[in-house]
Amino acid sequence: MNKSEGSETGLPGSDPTSAVEPLVLPTSPRRVGGGVRLNIRGRSVRLRRLRRQPTGALRWLLLLGPGLIATSAGNDAGGIATYSSAGARFGYDLIWVMVVLTVSYAVVQEMCARLGAATGRGLLDLIRERYGVGWALFAVCVIMAANGGVTVSEFVGIGAAMELLGFNKYVVVPLAAGLIWYLVVFGSYARVERVFLLMTLVFFAYPAAAFMARPDWGAVARGAFVPTLRGDPEYILLLVGLLGTTMTPYIQLFQQSSVVEKGVARRHYGPERLDAYVGAFFSNLMSVFMIIATAATLNAAGRTEIGSAADAARALEPVAGPAAQALFAVGLLGASLLAGAVLPLATSYAVTEALGVPKGVNLDFRRARVFFSLFTALVVAGAGLALVPGLPVIQMLVAVQVLNGVLLPVMLVFILLLINDRRLTGELKNTRLYNVLGWGTFAVITAAVAFMLGSQFLDSLGIRILGDR
Amino acid sequence: MVVFSEILRCHVIDARGARARISDLSVDLAEEDYPPVMRLFFINAEKQHVSLPWGAVTGGDWRRRRLEVADLGAARAGPLEPPALEVLLKRDILDALVLDLQHRRVARANDLWLGEAGGRLALRAADASLGAVLRRLSRGWLGRGSGASLSDWKNVEFLRGDTRGARAGAYYERRIARLLPGEIAKLSEAIPYLHAAELLTLLPDPVAADVLELMTPERQLQVFEELDESQALRLLALASPDTAADLVGRLAPEAARQCLERLPAAQARRAIELLRYPDATAGGIMTNDLVYVAESLTIAEARRVLAVRLREPDFVYYVYVVDDEEARRLRGVVTLRDLLLADEGSRVGEVMNPRVLTVGPLAAAAEAAYQVIENHLAALPVVGQEGRLLGAVTVDAAVASVAPPNWRSIAPRVFS
Repeated sequence: MNKSEGSETGLPGSDPTSAVEPLVLPTSPRRVGGGVRLNIRGRSVRLRRLRRQPTGALRWLLLLGPGLIATSAGNDAGGIATYSSAGARFGYDLIWVMVVLTVSYAVVQEMCARLGAATGRGLLDLIRERYGVGWALFAVCVIMAANGGVTVSEFVGIGAAMELLGFNKYVVVPLAAGLIWYLVVFGSYARVERVFLLMTLVFFAYPAAAFMARPDWGAVARGAFVPTLRGDPEYILLLVGLLGTTMTPYIQLFQQSSVVEKGVARRHYGPERLDAYVGAFFSNLMSVFMIIATAATLNAAGRTEIGSAADAARALEPVAGPAAQALFAVGLLGASLLAGAVLPLATSYAVTEALGVPKGVNLDFRRARVFFSLFTALVVAGAGLALVPGLPVIQMLVAVQVLNGVLLPVMLVFILLLINDRRLTGELKNTRLYNVLGWGTFAVITAAVAFMLGSQFLDSLGIRILGDR
Repeated sequence: MVVFSEILRCHVIDARGARARISDLSVDLAEEDYPPVMRLFFINAEKQHVSLPWGAVTGGDWRRRRLEVADLGAARAGPLEPPALEVLLKRDILDALVLDLQHRRVARANDLWLGEAGGRLALRAADASLGAVLRRLSRGWLGRGSGASLSDWKNVEFLRGDTRGARAGAYYERRIARLLPGEIAKLSEAIPYLHAAELLTLLPDPVAADVLELMTPERQLQVFEELDESQALRLLALASPDTAADLVGRLAPEAARQCLERLPAAQARRAIELLRYPDATAGGIMTNDLVYVAESLTIAEARRVLAVRLREPDFVYYVYVVDDEEARRLRGVVTLRDLLLADEGSRVGEVMNPRVLTVGPLAAAAEAAYQVIENHLAALPVVGQEGRLLGAVTVDAAVASVAPPNWRSIAPRVFS
């Protein structure tokens, strides 16, 4: 840069005509490349302000965002526990469920993303506007209770993972909560998204653990593509559990609200759907790797009882070595951190949408008081409760699963009705194939939820429809 | 006054004793301050959505939750879709976002209040209080009529979230135009992008262009792309060249080309001129909408020339002095005050201040910005080869380019 260019070029004002010195321009201007050459009104001009659309792999990478984050957050502490016990208890037998489920998962997540782009509104906004305050408040109350419970379990997961890695949870959990809080309250949406996307990289710990376990890949393929059904009550309950942990209302809420906040407009939606598909595929692939890793080690060694994600990691140590345990612990830590941020966010979105008050990571405390207060309260309460010794986390998660089970079919119906409302979605309405897949998913999920609730209810009465467990 | 959620629990009863539950009411938004109720909707015995004109109501008692009509059978079946200017209270307004212009806030219409206006039943207010929610959920048992936080309907703007819908009813009263562009822009940040785009369609073009300029860049782009093409181009032509260039610069190349082809020639030329410089340079943040005058003119001549030129540009604090209009080599600067106070007979070249800081178009944007801020300048002229005046980095552009991306949310807010 030539210094004289910006300096004062005044001369004594006696001879006004020569007052301004001819400017000394930089002899070799900074190289400015880039831009786009356009032909406008018959003149060819290079417009350096324009950006060429990114091409190739970069283009696809830039599309990733809400979908990948939402679905990855679904592989949280509770998810890891379920997938690990599926692997530990039944080996590779349940992998096919995840394969089939990926289609449903992708369809549901994509519908939410599309709904967000087509209307610029979150799921609760639309439920409130179309179906009234009663349904909206019902959903909000269930979401508050269920997500509050899950948030606690995420911070328990952070604590457990850090203890496995040799840290004191009473130091680390408040620290993690502080970090999450700072990121969301002081960050813009773009920055929060970038950090969340980086956190999803942690999930590659699971493929590493799976490969280290040297599974029998033939058996894996058989488990993935040959459906097996057993009359074993535990098998059926785990199958239902896999459905329930993969499809959760908060994942759908977060998907839609963050697509809105990312500012995806309906005319640019087309390629964005890839994000939802990749998210569903990636997160289920990681779940499959968890099943493989535990199947090849714990199941083979006959250790079939897994209570929590930390249990799974601990059980891995004697069987698969300290490296496998560390990988599981790192995965658990990343997943819990991500979900520990996403859950309070999804809850805050839902509540503020239902009430119609300002919301969004891009705003600040002053302008979105309810949004950030609720977020803060959830993070503080979640981290605080997680440190209470002897907290019945497992029982809490069971209760939460019941709440989410009740809410999930309701949410699916709303999503399907809203996406088919031409006045809202216009061109982006569902195609017939989507409706078939969507309603099919709804039917299966409803049956599974009814079964789960029914068996739990009868269980509490002392009746076991599936025989003794 | 009666609340709408209460009306929804009423029945219509005719002379023969047939009864039906009211399902919705339509109002005419084209009418003055308080839109009158036009029609009454209910579901008849054949399970069809039918409507009766409000004039058919012969009497009734809100307390006993009944309305009387002569004949329910006279109700017209047909689509629920009302004529363009009528909106349905339950379907369209209840639970939707409304802008309370008096309190400068966005709220959900938790309930609606109807009352007499001009001898007819009309929509009087939107109720955004939590009490209204409570009242609706408890079917009237709780949260009874405090009415503390009502938004008088004459201060409410109702949005449908559909740019075409609003255009169809474009001639209804645009209350939103009462606010300042900055206030409208700020309100529009708190609503979904389709609502914000609809808001622009409700405004006269010059105001809409100002509002568009004041939105955050992301919102600007989203909203701009939702407008129909002719309005988008009109607003772009009205916006300052640097805003137009910023906006076009964020479009995809093909969309940008089409925009530039269709803009009026003068605006297109200015925008193209600005778009030639990369983002992070002085040229990338400058405006080229300046007032300049040749140094050889006398003050009297200059005043005449400027009387015409000063109408157009945005930035008029400085008048730049150039050697002649063609070569446009920068010689100095005069302020409007200098021009007013100077002797008519003297030449511009004698009055001007020849000591001017300048910067090249490819200098780093941050460097130019800090020069503006540190020297307390209103603008810093950008000059090219041989001192040709290309544009100026204004203090606004300078602050925007060095402030953190979320500076708008940190900066003092306009209302409440």
